[in-house]
Amino acid sequence: MAGEKVIIMAKNNSLTEKQKKALKLLKSRLNGRLLTHLNSCVHCGLCGESCHYYLATKNKNFIPGKKVDIVSSIYQRYHTLAGKVAPRLYGAKDFNDKTVEELIDIVFGACSMCGRCSVHCSIGVDVPYIVRTARSMLVEMELVSPGLQSTVDAAINTGNNMGIPRDEFVDTLEWLSEDLEMEVEDEDASIPLDKKGVDILYTLNPREPKFFPLSISAIAKIYYAAKENWTLSTNVYDVTNYAYFSGDDKGAKELTERLCDEMSKLEAKTLVLAECGHGYRAIRWEGPNWIERPYPFKVISVVELIGDYIRSCRIKLDPSLNKLPVTLHDPCNMVRGGGVIEVQRFVIKNAVENFIEMMPNRANNFCCGGGGGQLAMSEYAERRIKSGKIKADQIRKTGAKIVATPCHNCIDQLMELNKEYQLGVEIKTIGELVADALVLEEKSN
Amino acid sequence: MTIFHWILLAGFVICLLSCLYHFFMALPAGKDIDYATPDAKTRQAVVYSFTKAMSPKKKETAFMHLPTYTAGIFYHLGTFLSLFLVIFIFFNVSFPTWLAYSIIVFLAFTSICGLSILIKRMTSSLLKNLSNPDDYFSNILVTGFQIITAIYLLLNTGLEYYFIITTILFLYLPIGKLRHTIYFFTARLHLGIFYGRRGTWPVKK
Amino acid sequence: MTQLEIEGKVFNVDGDGFLVNPQLWNEEIAALFAKHDGTGQLNEKHWAIINFIRNHWLENDMAPMVRKICQNTGLRLKEIYTLFPMGPAKGACKIAGLPKPDGCV
Ligand code: SF4
Ligand code: SF4
Repeated sequence: MAGEKVIIMAKNNSLTEKQKKALKLLKSRLNGRLLTHLNSCVHCGLCGESCHYYLATKNKNFIPGKKVDIVSSIYQRYHTLAGKVAPRLYGAKDFNDKTVEELIDIVFGACSMCGRCSVHCSIGVDVPYIVRTARSMLVEMELVSPGLQSTVDAAINTGNNMGIPRDEFVDTLEWLSEDLEMEVEDEDASIPLDKKGVDILYTLNPREPKFFPLSISAIAKIYYAAKENWTLSTNVYDVTNYAYFSGDDKGAKELTERLCDEMSKLEAKTLVLAECGHGYRAIRWEGPNWIERPYPFKVISVVELIGDYIRSCRIKLDPSLNKLPVTLHDPCNMVRGGGVIEVQRFVIKNAVENFIEMMPNRANNFCCGGGGGQLAMSEYAERRIKSGKIKADQIRKTGAKIVATPCHNCIDQLMELNKEYQLGVEIKTIGELVADALVLEEKSN
Repeated sequence: MTIFHWILLAGFVICLLSCLYHFFMALPAGKDIDYATPDAKTRQAVVYSFTKAMSPKKKETAFMHLPTYTAGIFYHLGTFLSLFLVIFIFFNVSFPTWLAYSIIVFLAFTSICGLSILIKRMTSSLLKNLSNPDDYFSNILVTGFQIITAIYLLLNTGLEYYFIITTILFLYLPIGKLRHTIYFFTARLHLGIFYGRRGTWPVKK
Repeated sequence: MTQLEIEGKVFNVDGDGFLVNPQLWNEEIAALFAKHDGTGQLNEKHWAIINFIRNHWLENDMAPMVRKICQNTGLRLKEIYTLFPMGPAKGACKIAGLPKPDGCV
């Protein structure tokens, strides 16, 4: 046994400092949940068909069990007795340049952390949880995919993930505010900025003010119709948290803290999240664990809020204003990983004449291929588009002309799929559909 | 009690203790507090996780692979039965002939299921790519255990071999992939809690 | 790095099809890129947008807000989306030879 130990020590010494850091991180995360998921895969290999990567490529290394295995084999090698004593028998792998390279390719390049495989796994292995843990190890080694890292850096350094300067943000919002005023023909209509003591602090995906502001106008119009007491912060408004994707818990915590501070600074009651799948998951579910305390305020998605407006008749919709057939794409992180499942259906059914479910749907839906930060990683773009074929086929089968989805990230991927697979559809946010169906009250004067 | 009885008993105790160790390590501990306000009651989701979520209706790994899934189910039933029989064989309780023969036929069938899974693992390129020696060994060990149980019941000799294989099984169980005996339960539990808090499970429709 | 071939000319682009070396850009490349991604023949309005984006990037090292594009070209927002079906980022910015912007684009 002593001899055994010497050999192990010698092997460990050949690890680089960074590799040691990564292994240390893995060890620090080994709670009951991680232990369970790292130890439970039985290599049955039945999960391939549940993953869009495998379905679209038939690459043997892309079945979810294999993705679990590459992480688990490193865990086995360094953190279990069996793996230390008889690595070959258990497929335990040395952590070296080759395994690191494989790890990067699989956990960044071949998994969108959509979680579909977990629901169908013979055992119940939480695959995305393991994949994210591996990404965290790569954060320690400073080996995060560059596009993903620079998006995280932009958010940390500039306050939003696209590096929009504050004055340009304000300028855009003022322009949209004037537009709204004209559209609804009411001088009092506006997009309130940095207003204190509001009921709702709304957030945005930076790609809205930067390139696609129509979704902001849509939501502003809905708030106007509902006479909501709301505001946008010009300092902290980013609903995304790419650190969730990169696996960087420190960064993720920092971004969450900023939102908390802004909530208390503006004395707002409810934090309302723009249509953003991972943003919902990160802020609603993961955030409190990063900052290690519950929020003193409520967090909901704007889709849930719109659902409330409809139920309580605060807004009136006329579905005949949306005549084209509409289908819905369920963003993984909001639906399977976030539990917002029925309300978007309720909202759409109230806003359009003809709604068609795509199959499968809800918690069983396929990822569009753009999740897990894939949109920010150009090096895997080809795979991303290829894996999106599953979604493209699903959409085509519905025969819908409009695909609605409450996630800007999905929208971007769907736009590319639309072109690549010639779907001939229009992609919209739920807010846009609702705004199109809004019936504004006749003004009394 | 023969020396084989003692060895088997020791193997069993070691197995039990290490399984308990694994089990308690894998239950939520320390950092597992979830600070996010839950949306739903997790209890129902955990129940769902162990029941409906496992049914072939809900699970692709089952309904898209029905032959393998069915073989797997029978294989596991054979294992449970064989484990249960250890008690009887240990205390030398004999069965009426009809019962012994029924058990033998059943175990013969479940061992064939086990073997077919083994053959699939050895021939499918997808599975070969995923498997390590432990996967093959575990299957051989468990299938062997079922076969030897059947043989012992049939011929009523070779008790030593039966005891040795069973002891090896007990000792190996907590080390290799067979420890999914424990982790299966904690995985269902953790996944149930995860989806339960978020309101994704139980699936209502 | 990927190589993109359009009409016999080869460009080094990233996985999303953005020029790896934005300095190499010229109007001919823009025209080829536009043809390739389905934007089609570039007209005056296209060029107004492309040139504005390009100059903004050269001066500020950043793609302009779509608001600024509207302001400076006098075009309406919806027109921009029609002119560049792939949108301002993956359409216009790419044709203008900018590197891929960060974020959900
Ligand atoms: S989480 Fe999604 S992308 Fe990743 S392995 Fe599972 S099904 Fe595939
Ligand atoms: S279905 Fe689950 S247990 Fe089977 S190989 Fe896939 S991840 Fe592993």
